Amino acid sequence: MTDASNSAIPTRATGDSTGMDFLTSLPRRVVTVYIPLAIFIFVLLFPFYWMTISAFKPNAEMSSNRNANPFWIVSPTLENINHLLFNTDFPAWFWNTMLISTAATFVSLFASVLAAYAIARIRFKGADQVGGIIFLAYLVPPSILFIPLASIVYELELYDTSWALILTYPTFLIPFCTWLLIGYFKAIPYELEECAVVDGASRLQILVKIVLPLAVPGLISAGIFAFTLSWNEFIYALTFISSNEEKTIPVGVLTALIEGDVYNWGALMAGALLGSLPVAIVYSFFVDYYVSSLTGAVKE
Amino acid sequence: MTDFNRRDALKVGAGAAAAAGIAGSAEAQQAAPTIRITPERGAQLRVLRWRRFVEGDERAWVANTQKFTQNTGIQVRLDNESWEDIRPKAAVAANVGRGPDIIFGWYDDPHQYPDKLVEVTDLANYLGRKYGGWYPVAQRYGINNNKWMSLPLGCAGNAMVYRIGAVREAGFEQFPRDFPGFLRLCQALKRNNKGVGFALGNAVGDGNGFAHWLVWSHGAKMVDDQGNVVINSPQTIAALEYAKQLYETFIPGTLSWGDINNNRAFLAGELALTANGISVYYSAKTSTDAAQRAIADDLNHANLPIGPAGRATEINLATQAMIFKYTRYPNAAKEYLRFMWEQEQINAWVEASIGYVTPALQAFERHPIWTSDPKVTPYRDSYKNMLWSGYSGPMGYASAASMADYIMVNMVAEAASGARTPQQAAERAAERANRYYRL
Amino acid sequence: MASIPAIPYQSSWRSRLVENKNFLGAVFMIPAAGILLVFLAWPLLRGIWLGFTNATLGREGRFIGLGNFISLAQDSVFWLSVFNTFFYTVIASVAKFALGLWLALLLNHNMPFKAQIRAFILLPYIVPTVLSALAWLWMYDAQFSVISWLLTQLGLIDRYIDFLGDAWNARLSLIVANVWRGIPFIAITLLAGLQTISPSLYEAAALDGATASQRFWHVTMPLLMPIIAIVMTFSVLFTFTDFQLIYSMTKGGPVNATHLMATLSFQRAIPGGQMGEGAAISTAMIPFLLAAVLFTYFGMHRRKWQQGARDD
Repeated sequence: MTDASNSAIPTRATGDSTGMDFLTSLPRRVVTVYIPLAIFIFVLLFPFYWMTISAFKPNAEMSSNRNANPFWIVSPTLENINHLLFNTDFPAWFWNTMLISTAATFVSLFASVLAAYAIARIRFKGADQVGGIIFLAYLVPPSILFIPLASIVYELELYDTSWALILTYPTFLIPFCTWLLIGYFKAIPYELEECAVVDGASRLQILVKIVLPLAVPGLISAGIFAFTLSWNEFIYALTFISSNEEKTIPVGVLTALIEGDVYNWGALMAGALLGSLPVAIVYSFFVDYYVSSLTGAVKE
Repeated sequence: MTDFNRRDALKVGAGAAAAAGIAGSAEAQQAAPTIRITPERGAQLRVLRWRRFVEGDERAWVANTQKFTQNTGIQVRLDNESWEDIRPKAAVAANVGRGPDIIFGWYDDPHQYPDKLVEVTDLANYLGRKYGGWYPVAQRYGINNNKWMSLPLGCAGNAMVYRIGAVREAGFEQFPRDFPGFLRLCQALKRNNKGVGFALGNAVGDGNGFAHWLVWSHGAKMVDDQGNVVINSPQTIAALEYAKQLYETFIPGTLSWGDINNNRAFLAGELALTANGISVYYSAKTSTDAAQRAIADDLNHANLPIGPAGRATEINLATQAMIFKYTRYPNAAKEYLRFMWEQEQINAWVEASIGYVTPALQAFERHPIWTSDPKVTPYRDSYKNMLWSGYSGPMGYASAASMADYIMVNMVAEAASGARTPQQAAERAAERANRYYRL
Repeated sequence: MASIPAIPYQSSWRSRLVENKNFLGAVFMIPAAGILLVFLAWPLLRGIWLGFTNATLGREGRFIGLGNFISLAQDSVFWLSVFNTFFYTVIASVAKFALGLWLALLLNHNMPFKAQIRAFILLPYIVPTVLSALAWLWMYDAQFSVISWLLTQLGLIDRYIDFLGDAWNARLSLIVANVWRGIPFIAITLLAGLQTISPSLYEAAALDGATASQRFWHVTMPLLMPIIAIVMTFSVLFTFTDFQLIYSMTKGGPVNATHLMATLSFQRAIPGGQMGEGAAISTAMIPFLLAAVLFTYFGMHRRKWQQGARDD
């Protein structure tokens, strides 16, 4: 793997988008760029294809790959999707997941923006140490945290409410978001702020009117990151939510579609598909923005 | 944790056993025992149950619960969690002291935190007297320190699931009941290119089911009555040697099998013999696909063969209802359990779940479901045929920990696959079990 | 944040306070600190404390000093899980990095449908992990694996691969699934880094007669270092603490060959009821994790400082 990448990388590096692609001939590009890229896309998308095709497969075709081609469907069915949408609480789970992820993202962004601004621009005493500590917060594995955390969630009367997740998800979102934003904020020239101070603006005004607009790309990156992690979270959602209609997609889909030792594969895969498509659509709008926006962090 | 022993079981169960002796049908007993539970005013209950194994189970349970609400005015919220996730949920509830009023847990759950549970001795005695007595192993699961701390509901049984045609072709008219015959059957099936497979992966249900049965059936056990680890014994070695011979007949991949693999392989026609709950039969029988129904026609069940130990040694997935002490309505919770355990409700529920769960009360052996379809009959005896988790020691956190750590499953898998010799595997298991039992 | 207080006249002590960096900094830190203290630091302390007790499910337990750690030190399953965790983290992180970088370099070319391709690439990252793990579980099935099916049809193998039944196969199969999930994030983030590199640098290097490989090692890599440091630190962290993938696919089997510290800790604490020991395993992860992160982070940052002259 490494060998292949090393040998391929040099030519690739020269082929920067605006750079010197014209120097490489077309056949060479096919071998060094398009074929590897096609393989990447194939491998990355294959499981997704597999989910899609399973979601539309009737149960009878599901495990008959001795006598049929598993890559294709003979008689596609909407039964699995139908089952998921109308026989389970999937719409409610979807709504919950959307709500919780969005809220957790906003809470995290809000806290991270303030923290990152304080660390990067206000430069209070001990800012670097605080930054380090926030980073260390990432070291805590949720797989054990959830029991003591459950007591706290109970004590705060948050059990079985969306708030339990909205307030606990930021624990693993804030560190990364803060970190990313520190990079952005540092890149903003101090002169801009100084001018504003001279004009008599408060810190908050500076943050909202000057710094934030310049850091929008960073906010989007951090937001996307936070949203995706919230969307996928499993342990906390499993532990802190018990009512069926309050569940999130990953937990709900598993609970509803695994009956003892029988996996309802078609519907499970339909759940995976429907559970990720909306995010995928959002991403397809944002991805270019995301890519170009992350550049801010690099200049740290 | 518990100094419960067999004498205690006899003491507590004595009344029930006597009643069982004279009990005719459960119906005839109806008038005799009574119990009065007065639910608290304005009570509401939250009940957490494992996600259904078969569709009918949930339907009947919900219908029974609605009946309860109509009769008493007590609102009951039923929540589900997939069966393997019940344990974390119950663990959190026990630990933080908040959560559902009633949780249907597995195996030794009630013995891990007995002091967090509401005692249900009166209710258990009442039900035992009325319905032919609890099976002795149900007393093991329900009683902690001479008190009933949970109410056994039943168990999801494990039986041999086989293709009639393939077994006949292998030269067996009847499914063998003994170990030499069973091995010959597996070898013959293998020769005929018919799949044989039992889960050896970290599978909570099937993996434990197979490994425990195999080891116990040879008279070996993890611990003795006092909880001393005695797994490194000649009987264990014999069991592991047998497992090795058996493993040679398995189709590839059983070391990775979880609970789901054999179901799928069987329904796809890749397997002619495995051990499982009734779910394989259920899905085949209720399928809309003619090929699947043909498999159901050619499918039959048999109880797990009896080994040198000379007695049935199954371990089935036993479930108990636990009322947690933090509940504000312990009486309403007890009344709910009483109602759900009465024959009107249990009968309808057993019927609807086509015998997936075998009740822990002996009178329900006579339920017509067990004989209406002879293929279901082996599951009737699932509760009777089983030993308890951590047999023959006390139940508690050591037994729970050993099972959760898959010590038995790992030992059988290591020895069967040849990764270690039977002697090494047994030593290793003893070492691991000692970590829990000596504490 | 919505209402911005106008700053009319303020009393002098107040304005001094508002101007005071330390005071302002503290105020701005409140939301983040509040959430992290209540929902992270506090449970973490409780969790670490648990590791030094013999608590079981539903029983408080009492302080037993290093008892759990001493007992773990003699437990070969624990050491196996430590080995697995390191093996898993190192191999998966290296593979994710190498492949992710390669993919980023590929994506940095001009080509048709660029935006769509980038969006597609992110798909593995979006699917909820538990569900994509199930898809992999099925693709790895001993009897119905579509991968085995394909290879058999192509005549490359004559019997189905035992993906999850053999210790090493299982470890590698899980690593492949983890890498699959991790590549998109790394590739897309590194791509962002690549786009900040000015083409003029390459042109200048080319004019100086630098070969392609020299340009890569002396222009691309140094400039990418900061973002590589961020991305790899987080990747190492996520891989080290991975739980969902293992739990949904093998539960640590076959015979504990794929148990990571996180899954073992869960297994011991919850189904096994030994909260103290489970917490001790988690606590034992922290120093390893810290070491791994410091290594990645400072290892790469030092490189960045060394190259600092060329940065920006």
